[in-house]
Amino acid sequence: MSHQDPDAVVPPDEDAVVPPGRSAREGAPENAAEDPPGASADPALTDAADEWHRVHPISPLVRGWIALVAIVYFFGQSWAENLFSDLTGIGGDEPEESGTWNPAELAATQEGLLWVVGISLGVLLLILLGFFLSWRFTKYQVTEGHVNVRSGILFRQQRQARIDRVQAIDIGQPLVARITGLGELKFEVADGGSTAMKLSYLKLAEAKRLRHRILARAGGLRAAQSGTARPAESPSGTGAGGAPPAGADDVAPAGTLPDPGTSVAGTTGAAPVLTDADLEAPENVLVRVPPGRLVLSLLVSPWLWFVFAALAGGIVGEVLTEGAFRTVYLVPGLFGILPWLWTEFSNGFNFRAGVSPDGLRMSYGLLDTHHQTVPPGRVQAVQVTQGVIWKLFGWHKVTVNVAGYGEATGGSAARSTVLPVGTRQDVLNVLAIILPNPGTDRPLELIDAGIAGRGTGEGFTTSPRTARLLSPFAWSRQGYTVTRTAVFARSGFLVRSLFMVPHERTQGIRLTQGPLERWRGVADVSLVTTDGPVHPAITQAGAAEARRFFLEQAERAAEARHLHDHDHWLDDDPYGAPQRGPVAEGER
Amino acid sequence: MNAEKDSRQAPDQAVDPEGVDWLPVSDKLITVRLISGAVWMVVVVGVLSVPLVLRSTGVWAGYPGWLAWSVPGVVLLWFLIGLAITPRQVRAIGYAERHEDLLVKQGILFRRLLVVPYGRMQYVDVQAGPLDRAFGLCKVELHTASSSVTATIPGVPEEEGARLREQLSARGEARLAGL
Repeated sequence: MSHQDPDAVVPPDEDAVVPPGRSAREGAPENAAEDPPGASADPALTDAADEWHRVHPISPLVRGWIALVAIVYFFGQSWAENLFSDLTGIGGDEPEESGTWNPAELAATQEGLLWVVGISLGVLLLILLGFFLSWRFTKYQVTEGHVNVRSGILFRQQRQARIDRVQAIDIGQPLVARITGLGELKFEVADGGSTAMKLSYLKLAEAKRLRHRILARAGGLRAAQSGTARPAESPSGTGAGGAPPAGADDVAPAGTLPDPGTSVAGTTGAAPVLTDADLEAPENVLVRVPPGRLVLSLLVSPWLWFVFAALAGGIVGEVLTEGAFRTVYLVPGLFGILPWLWTEFSNGFNFRAGVSPDGLRMSYGLLDTHHQTVPPGRVQAVQVTQGVIWKLFGWHKVTVNVAGYGEATGGSAARSTVLPVGTRQDVLNVLAIILPNPGTDRPLELIDAGIAGRGTGEGFTTSPRTARLLSPFAWSRQGYTVTRTAVFARSGFLVRSLFMVPHERTQGIRLTQGPLERWRGVADVSLVTTDGPVHPAITQAGAAEARRFFLEQAERAAEARHLHDHDHWLDDDPYGAPQRGPVAEGER
Repeated sequence: MNAEKDSRQAPDQAVDPEGVDWLPVSDKLITVRLISGAVWMVVVVGVLSVPLVLRSTGVWAGYPGWLAWSVPGVVLLWFLIGLAITPRQVRAIGYAERHEDLLVKQGILFRRLLVVPYGRMQYVDVQAGPLDRAFGLCKVELHTASSSVTATIPGVPEEEGARLREQLSARGEARLAGL
C-alpha cells in the first residue's frame, strides 16, 4: 500500500499524484496488500508530499459484509423457495428429480429461476464494484505536520488534520476485522465527538505502526531531535504496581509520565528518540480487570437488582390478584436490560490499561477489541465513582473526558472508561497515568479522602451545616480542595464521586444559585471541561467560599494555561516541579 | 439575604464577586423582550382559547367550562408574570471583560455566573434577529470547546457588539492555548 500506486481509475479531479496507468481490475488489490508503508524504511516517519497509501483492499468487504450476506441470503432464499415450490408444488415438470436436482438443468428449463440468479449476480457484482471503487479512492498519508485522507467516489473529500492537535488515537477491531487480522485507526481531534479521521481497515501491525508515527510526530520528537532539551520521564513513587522506577533521578524536570509505568526500556536516558525500531512502543500494563470481577460487578449492579425487584413484585402481584396479573407480562420489558449487560460485559472484558511513552494505553473487548491511546495532557477531567454496592467490594469506576471522544453514549461510553471496575490500587495506578502530578505532597491520602472521606480532612472544604436541609446525608461529604495542579471535588452519599480537573483544562466555570440554595446560603460551582461523561461540579458550597473559589480558580486556570502548552507533550514539562505520583508505597 | 431587593442594581452578595465592574446590557432589550413576549402570549393564549370560543358559540357545548377558562387563564397569568419581571431580568444581566477572562451573569431567582477564559475561546458569534435589528441590538456568543459553556450576552448595542467581537477575538488569539 505504500507506493504511489499507478493503478487508478482516474477521477476527474485526481491530481498528478497518481499517474494514469493500468485500468482497474479485481486482481489489483493483491499487490497493495503485501507490504507495509514506506515507514519502515523511512526514519523520518513521514511521507513525501506525493506519497499516498491505501487501506487494505478487503476492507470494504469487512465493512460491508453484512450487506453482502443479506443480499446473498435474500436471493438465495427466494431462489430456494422457487426451487422448492417448483419441485413440489403445482406444475412441477420433473417431480421425479426432486431428490437429485440439478441447478443447471432447472435453470435451463425455468426462466424465472434464471432471472433470479442473474439479478442476484448482477447486484453482487455491482456491490463488489462499489467496494472496489471505494477502496481505490481512499488514500492517506502522514506528512510532517498533517494527516491527510482522501475518500469518496463521486463526492471527493480531502481531509487534513494537524498532527499536533491529536487528542487520541484508537485502533478498533470488529469481529470480522479481527478474524482477518485488520484494524481500524481512528484519529481524534477536539471537535466535539465525531471521529476526525478513520482509516478502515489496515493490517493490525500497520495500524500500530501508523499510530506510532503519528504519535511520535505529535509528541514533539522532532524538537527533541533538533536538540531541544527534552525531559526524561522521572520516577516517582516506588512503583507499587509496576517495575522499579527508572534511574533518571538526575534529570531535573519531571516528565509528563512520572509514574512507575514509564520505567520501560528505551524511554529514559539522554536520547529518547523513538525510531521505527521500537514501534511496539513499550507498554507497561498496570491494570487488568479479571473476568470474574467484571461478571460479579455486573451481577450486583443496581439495574439487575431492579430487575429482581420487579420480578419479585410481579410474583407478589400475581399471587395477590390470583392470577389476573401474570409475571410473564414483565419479561419482555426486562429483556431490555440484556443489551446493556452484554455491552458492559463485552466492553469490559479483558480490560487492560497501561502506560507507554505515547500516553495512556487501554485495550478491551470480547468480540470486538479496541486499543486506545490517549497522549499525556489530553485528559480533561477525571471522575472516580463508587456505587453503594460496589462499596462493599471496594470497587470503583474511573471515567475521563477526552476532547475527541465527545459525549459518550451507549456502546461508545467504553471509550471514556479508563477503568470499568477496579480496586483502590487499580484506581491509583490509573490516576498515576492520567493525572501524573496531583500537585500535593500527600496524594494517597488526598485521593482516599476524595473517594471515601467526609469532613474537612486533607484540606477539603465541605458544605456548611446550613446545607443539611438540602443534603441531609451528603452535606459533610460534598466538598472540594485545590492542589497546585488540580481541583478535587467530591460529592454523593449513596453513589460517591470524586472529580479531578487540572487547572489548565478548565473551559469555563459556572456559579449557580437557586432560591433554595440562596435560602441556605450555598451555591453550586461547575467546572466545565470539554464534552464528555464527566461533569465536574462542587455541590452546595458556602456562598462566600463558592464565590471566592470561582474567582481564584479563574486566576489559577489562567496562570496554569500560561505555563503549559500541551500540544507537544515531550517538549515541555506541563506540571512544574517534580512531584510524587499518587502510586502507593504498596497497598494498604 | 434579601436578594430580591438589591438584585435590581447593586451586585447581589450571594453570587456576585466583589471588585468587578459590570457592564449592563441595553435597556432596549427590555422593550424587545416585552414585544416578543407579548406576541408569543397572544399566539399561545389565542390557540389555547379556541375551545373557549367554540364552547361559547355553542359548537362544542359539551366542553367543561372550568377547563375552557382555566387553561388559557393560567397560561395568560404565567406570561403576564414573565412580562412583569422582564425588566428586572434584563437588568440582572451583566458582563465584565477582565484581563484574562469574560464574566457573564444573569438570573434573579436562579442566578448564574459564568467565567470563560479568553484563551479557551474557539469562536465568537454575533447574531441579530429582525426585532433586535430594529432596536439596534445584537447578541454576542462566545463559544468554547465545550458545548455546555457558551457565554451569551444578549441585548448588546450593535457598535458595542462589534467592539466586543473584535476585542474578544484579539484577546483570544493573544492568549490562545491548546485545549
